Amino acid sequence: MTEVSFAVLGLLLVWGTAVGLDLVSVPQGLLSRPLISASVAGWLVGDLETGLRVGAILELFALDVLPVGASRYPEYGPAAIGGVLLAAGLPKWDGVGVGALLGLLVAMLAGYSLEWLRHANARDVHRHSAELDGGSTAVIRRLQWSGLARDAVRSSAVTAVALTLAWLARAQLDGAVRMPTYLTPVLVGVGLAAALSGALRTAGRGRRLAWLGVGLAAGVVLAVVVTA
Amino acid sequence: MKGKGRALVRLLAVQGAWSYERMTGVGMGFAAEPLLRALESDEPEHHREATARAAEFFNCHPYLAGLALGASARAEYEGVPGAQIRRLRTALCSPLGALGDQFFWAGLVPIMMSLALVGVALGAGAVGLATVVIGYNVARLLVTRWALWTGLETGMQVGTAISASWLPRAAARIAAPAGLVAGLAVPVVGAWLLSPVAGPRLAVTLLAAGATLALVRWGGARWTSLRVGLVFALVVLLWTRFAP
Repeated sequence: MTEVSFAVLGLLLVWGTAVGLDLVSVPQGLLSRPLISASVAGWLVGDLETGLRVGAILELFALDVLPVGASRYPEYGPAAIGGVLLAAGLPKWDGVGVGALLGLLVAMLAGYSLEWLRHANARDVHRHSAELDGGSTAVIRRLQWSGLARDAVRSSAVTAVALTLAWLARAQLDGAVRMPTYLTPVLVGVGLAAALSGALRTAGRGRRLAWLGVGLAAGVVLAVVVTA
Repeated sequence: MKGKGRALVRLLAVQGAWSYERMTGVGMGFAAEPLLRALESDEPEHHREATARAAEFFNCHPYLAGLALGASARAEYEGVPGAQIRRLRTALCSPLGALGDQFFWAGLVPIMMSLALVGVALGAGAVGLATVVIGYNVARLLVTRWALWTGLETGMQVGTAISASWLPRAAARIAAPAGLVAGLAVPVVGAWLLSPVAGPRLAVTLLAAGATLALVRWGGARWTSLRVGLVFALVVLLWTRFAP
């Protein structure tokens, strides 16, 4: 089991907060993609390979998400960090699946926290409608900074939940007689289908769909060549 | 116009106070502040009205918000009536949202992340990921800057400028390369993630993939890939716990 110090846990919390802010608030620069957030988390806990593998599975799921408008969608970034912490403490092959499962669970719960944030911001804005309509720059600044602060608190709370669940699960699974051997292949299969489903939705019909088919064929050839 | 640099930086957080009530309105007002500051001493009443308009309801793709911000700021300095500026902002919401979602969320982001997945599977590791993140953020900054500058230069003519720009053509054409790269990534990443296994585990993977595609495509909106993953995982956990 990879030992993790409290200093590393602190760094993971800081990283998770930055990742959570990146999703909607600032700067929306791919840090919140699970492949990126999990890889950095893997590097922080001293197991980059596990970070890449957990991140890749969750990224396949994330490719099926179109984060448009006011819809509720899963938040994979901070969730992936908890997944990596858990997977790094378990046997390699089975651990990746267990870590990815924790990531999926936390990602779903984190989606609800985004709704809470939007409602909390709306209540704050509603309270200051009169000043906003009067063109108060001080109120605009205050609302903007409190919105960012609220999202930072939300992101760190989601990360803290993910890390706590990972920590508790590590203790439970340490030395477990039976690991869920088929969890990793099942989640890889669902993830591959998720990414393909997202690509099919974007491609639509006709020539665009043909390009997807060309990509798939090229990918199969490349996969065979690489694994041969 | 002064304050362009500060407005550009503030645009990076245009969704910082996103709410169901005004959506990105408060973020737009925050980003507009440096641009409108010159009005404050000369025309304080006009400044208050312009600031209030900037913070009203607004929603579009965050990377393209600078087009509306720049155009409305210039219109304020040109003395365009407030009602006309409001109509401009309202008219820009849907096209900027649709173009941005199509180009960035459904095009460029899947392309970059699919490339990152292929890179990781082929052994590019952290260097490959860093290249993708840096490349994407350079493009994101250039687009944000282009949007603000174009809005400031064209003012009320911003709609014509958008139509004549690279954006509509790029948004229409990006789906093909996005499909190509996503298609390439799926088998390559699958082979990499499954590389230590064969036999029953490979069969389980293919079965899970087929069942998921069927449920997600034809099972109704309730069956998202995330929910399918959680349900299938629960089945595996129960089987592991109770199977002899």
